[in-house]
Amino acid sequence: MSIQPDKIDAVIHERVRLAIVSALSVAPELSFNELRTMLSLSDGNLSAHARTLEDAGYLDIRKSFAGRRPRTTMRLTRKGRAAFRNYLDTLRKIVEHGGET
Amino acid sequence: MNRDEAQERVREVQRIMERTTLYTLLPGTPAVVGGLLALAGCVVTLLMIRSLDFQDMLGLSENGQVAFCGMWVLVGIVAVTQEILWARRAAKKQGISPTARPARFATLSLSPSLIVAVVLSLKFLHQQQPRYIVPAWIMCYGTGLYAAGLFSVRLPRVLGLAFIVTGAVGLLWFAEYGVVLAALSFGVLHLAFGAAILARTRRETVT
Repeated sequence: MSIQPDKIDAVIHERVRLAIVSALSVAPELSFNELRTMLSLSDGNLSAHARTLEDAGYLDIRKSFAGRRPRTTMRLTRKGRAAFRNYLDTLRKIVEHGGET
Repeated sequence: MNRDEAQERVREVQRIMERTTLYTLLPGTPAVVGGLLALAGCVVTLLMIRSLDFQDMLGLSENGQVAFCGMWVLVGIVAVTQEILWARRAAKKQGISPTARPARFATLSLSPSLIVAVVLSLKFLHQQQPRYIVPAWIMCYGTGLYAAGLFSVRLPRVLGLAFIVTGAVGLLWFAEYGVVLAALSFGVLHLAFGAAILARTRRETVT
């Protein structure tokens, strides 16, 4: 069985973005700092990839204040969760059927 | 993408999901409570044996020795129970199963070294050498924490190493100051760890 290249979601397929989405798939919401620490990313790297995910409609980024401190939290949107599920399904198909893209 | 690459991606996703699960369950408040309980245990120890050396528990009556050991067992049980309850609460809040694979990994990683600590304690008591129980527990607990931390972020591993170093130094040079060792490790280190986690969860500054 062959998996078409267009079946692989390029937005999620990138390693850092896949890590962000994977982490957010098991936590309803994570802060910018939590994600940065957990995934050992630089501020700029996380910001850039989070923005790409947000532009694709996969990530909901909320900025608020906790007292005087700015706070950024991220969560997967419904579209993001569906895209992640589809991506995992595609991976599973490749693993099970040995398909190539 | 071929099968090997896909498998590697699946494993990567799994690793991150497990790390995240453990990360979100890292206990801040229960670590602080555990630290306070340990410090309370140290105070009671001082009141009971009027010495910094656990060896002096042998000066207590038989009932006193049983009460002494019972007190520390109780401290341990209360500390562990409240940690489990907090972790379950955190898991429920995050929508994560408290029996998820990473939680089981953490429990399985901690258990062997705690069993070793129990066996060593029984041996030391049998040999009338209770002085060495504290450093043995500190090192065993540290080893368990370090192993459990392999499935999580760096912080528990750092705490585990701190326990191992404290226990080793205590065992080699300061075994007669068991109360101080227990206060520094189970008390102060837990308080510092809990405070670091609580600070982390509050310090969510945007860049």
